[in-house]
Order: sequence, then C-alpha cells, then structure tokens
Amino acid sequence: MNVLIIDPDDARAALVAEGIRADSAHQDATIHHWPRFELARLKDINPEMVIIACESPDRDTLDALQIAHEQAPRPVAMFVDRSDANTTAEALEAGVAAYIVDGYSPNRVASILTVATHRFNLMQTLRADLSKAKADLAARKSIDRAKGVLMTSRGISEDDAYKILRKHAMDTGRPMAAVAADILAISGLLKPGEG
Amino acid sequence: MVLSLKIGFSPLNNSALVLLGEALGYYTAEGLDVTLSREANWSNIRDKMSYGLLDAAHVLAPMPLSRGLGLGPTLGKIIAPMALGANGNSVVVSSRLMTALIHDDKAKLLDTARALRDEISRRRAAGAPKVVLAMPFAYSPHHFVLRHWVAAGGIDPDRQVQWVVLPPSRMADALRDGVIDGFCSGSPWPQMAQLNGDGQVLFSDPDFWTLKPEKVLGVREPWANENPDGVIALVRALLKAAQWAKDADTADLAKILAQPGYVGAPLEAIELALSTEGAGLLLDPQTTTFPWISHAKWFMGQFVRWGLTTPEHDFDAIARQIYRPDLWRQAAASLGLDIPLTDEKTEGGEPAPWTLDATPNPILMPANELFDGGIFRSA
Repeated sequence: MNVLIIDPDDARAALVAEGIRADSAHQDATIHHWPRFELARLKDINPEMVIIACESPDRDTLDALQIAHEQAPRPVAMFVDRSDANTTAEALEAGVAAYIVDGYSPNRVASILTVATHRFNLMQTLRADLSKAKADLAARKSIDRAKGVLMTSRGISEDDAYKILRKHAMDTGRPMAAVAADILAISGLLKPGEG
Repeated sequence: MVLSLKIGFSPLNNSALVLLGEALGYYTAEGLDVTLSREANWSNIRDKMSYGLLDAAHVLAPMPLSRGLGLGPTLGKIIAPMALGANGNSVVVSSRLMTALIHDDKAKLLDTARALRDEISRRRAAGAPKVVLAMPFAYSPHHFVLRHWVAAGGIDPDRQVQWVVLPPSRMADALRDGVIDGFCSGSPWPQMAQLNGDGQVLFSDPDFWTLKPEKVLGVREPWANENPDGVIALVRALLKAAQWAKDADTADLAKILAQPGYVGAPLEAIELALSTEGAGLLLDPQTTTFPWISHAKWFMGQFVRWGLTTPEHDFDAIARQIYRPDLWRQAAASLGLDIPLTDEKTEGGEPAPWTLDATPNPILMPANELFDGGIFRSA
C-alpha cells in the first residue's frame, strides 16, 4: 500500500498517516506527505491512493487527472460509494476527500476513509481546544486589568473588585470578560489628557 | 417564513452577485437566511452540492452540464436558473512568450494565435519542450477558450500543446518558475500576476467573445423542487444585486469584493480587473443574467468538439433540464424586468449593440461577437 497525503497542515497529515498505520490492514503502508500537489513527482511515487484535504485548491488538479489520462501514471478516480453516502458525506464535511486509483478494493478504502475522518475530527477538536485556551487566557488578562482599575479608582481590595465584576456580569447576563473589557474601554476615556 | 440555505462561491470577481446579496442585504430582504461558504476548489463545490452540504453555488457554466452529460461523479442534478453575469477571465503569458506573440500594437487575437503556431514550430525544431497552458478546471469555459484560440491559429490543441489544471492562486508562481507558459483564469488573479511582474495579460474575455457566458447560479435540483418559492426568492435577490452592480461605482464594488472573507485579493488587482482595460466583467440583470439555452448548447458543442463526450446525446433535452429560463422569467417578471421571448439566440455575428425581442419592451443588448467571426445557431 502506497499512500499519498496532500495537506498543507503538517500536524493533521501526520495524524491521518498515523491512523492509516494503526489500521491493521495497512500496517505496512508507505505514506508520503506533500503540502501541495507536485505533478512532476507523482510518477516517482506512483501512489495507490491519494488522500487530499478538501480545502486544498490542488484538489482540482487531481480531479483533472481523472479526465486527462495521459498526464497521470494511471487514472485517478474519486471514491464515491453510492451505497455509503453517509460515510462519504461525513468525510467531506470533516474536510477529507479520498481519491483512489482504478481497481482498488472499495471496502478497504472505506475503512481508511473512516479512520482518516476520525483522525481529522480529533485534530479539529484539538485545534478548537487550543484556540479556546488562548481566548481564556486573554479573558483572564482583561479581568485582571479591570480589577486593577476598580481597585485604584474605588480604593477597594482585589477580592472586592472581583466580586463587583462578578455581580455586574450576573446582573447583566454577560460574560465577565465582556464586562471587564467595558470597564477598560471606559477607563481609557476617563484618563486625563486623552481624547 | 425565513428559509435557510448555504451558498458556495469561489473567490473571483465574477462571484460578485452572490457576495453582494449578503453584503447589501438582498437575501434578508427576500426572506432568505444565507450562509456563504468560500470554497478553495471547484471539485469541492461540485461534491458538496451532491451531498447537500451546499444548496446553491457560483459555478462554472459547464459544470452542471458536465453532470447532465454523465461526466464525473454524478450523484445529483444541478440546475441553472440564471447566469451570474458575462465575461471576467483573462489569459496571461510569460513575458518571453508575449514577445514572440505580439509583433506590433495592432495585433489581433487571430494574429497572436498564428504567432503561437510559429513559436510552437520553432520550439519543435529546436527540440524544446511543448508550450504548456494552464486552466483552473477541465470542464471550464477557460479550457474551451484556450483551445478555440489555439485552434484558430492552425494548432492541434491535443498534440501540439500540453494542458495542465492548476489552482488560480498557484498559476502566477508556476508562470514565474517557468513550469507553464501561460494560463487562463478568472479575475483578479491574472491581473495580480501582471502586477507582481510574473507575466502579462495577452487577452481578456471580450477580446475573444464580447458577451461570453461564464458563471451560472447552480442550485441543487432536490432543493429547488422542495423550495420552489425559495429558488425564485434567490434569483430575485441576485437580480437586485445585479441592478446595484450595474449602476454602482467601480470603486465601491471593488472595496466590497476585496474584503478578506469575499474575494480577498489586493484591491489594486481587483480595480484593474474591473477597469476598462480589465477582464470585461458585465453585471447587468437585463442583458447578462438570462440562462440562454443557446449558451448551454454552445458549451455542450465544445464538449463534443474537444472529445470530452460523444455526439450521442439529446443535447436539447439536457440543456432544457439544466438551464431554466422559466425560473428566470418568473423572478424577473416580478421585478418588472423585460422578458426575452425566446430561450435561444444566435451567438456571435452582432458587432454592435442590437435589439432583442422581449416583453413588455425590447431589450438593447451589447455587441455579441466572436473574434474569429464565428456564428453559432443552436436551433
């Protein structure tokens, strides 16, 4: 099994590759990863299967190889199994499209597709967690700064400043970070010599 | 009642109507809750429409027809109730090829095609590689325009030219690196390649065909059948967008298109493409949005001409199943536009503005002429 993964996202491609290797049927797979499609090198590796990220513009190039046989080492066909539209639709939604060469067994491809989709979703979850962590950190910073503003302007303790912030957030039904951002915006206006 | 739908588009100037529908609130005004989806490639738009992940999209005019002809994965039908304007593409060649093709500033398109034939002979004699031309998709007007142009110069497009499919965003790099000698793509990418110094625009759509069909609104047929009022509302919203675009200041249009979530290209390239020296994009609800059956037949004629399909099809029936002038008429009539009396017209042979029979009033049409004087009569 010779697989080519085309995905500009290294981490995601690695995860898809790991997923294919973990599948018992494909443990001896040779996996190549290219960030973008290179027609000139395709002949050298002659993949039996290409997995390409849906959002890659190169997908059109691969699609064209299906039509222009003379440019391809062998015809590339898109894998669309009518009886299994759900798996394919899920894979498309997840951003993975699989292309297989002629004559390759569709049942094995289906399992690869499932694994690839699963891995892709895992990666997307990790990505989402990371951006949430970043947003949380930013929110904490503005809350701390807003507390500082309240402490100086009202001469209260950090604990009291926090309670005021929290009460206001609860009363107005808004996140604390949003309340903190408002305080910071207004405190900027109140500074002497500005505006 | 508000109807939700997802519309895909490719980042090109000729997706303008789809983008304006959102930017100017025309969808909302028609009771549509539209989510736009910026897609990186045409295959994805095609497949997402098949699986119902998109209900409608800005598509290359030959795409729904290729499905109708049974080419490529055909899981669901796509209908085309309107065109999204005319023109908008340009052909860019390397500076080296430009020098070989243009000998004086009066050079016409036919002259450049003949000059290309000479260049091909020269390269062949010198044992140099073939001329390589790129387009963004196999079933595209770009492919047909390039083939028609080279064939007009006495070149066999199948044996004397090498064709590659490349994403528009990569074409400028490929040209700079000498991988390709030229490409055809939707604006503003050819203009950006020129501004970056990667190549020069050789000709644009109006030089080839003054009123060239290019993109259509593709709608998933099952969705259209389930939402008959929704289709009309969608066409109405886009016709209103066309009305705005027709009367708008180019600078205002360019600013909207340049937004990152939309075309997202440098403003300078978008403005150049929309200028009088640009790609000739026409957005006029009255003269450039009717889904002409004759356009569908011209495209399918190109499929046959270039060996992409066989002549054994009922082209008239396929054209009428996919292109839906009846839906256009319904939407346009409700907006008070003039309605063409026929579904087909002669393509080409009109070097000056001319009058099209329509009701209640005739429509003054722009010139409709092909560079080689060709005239296509579908009926």
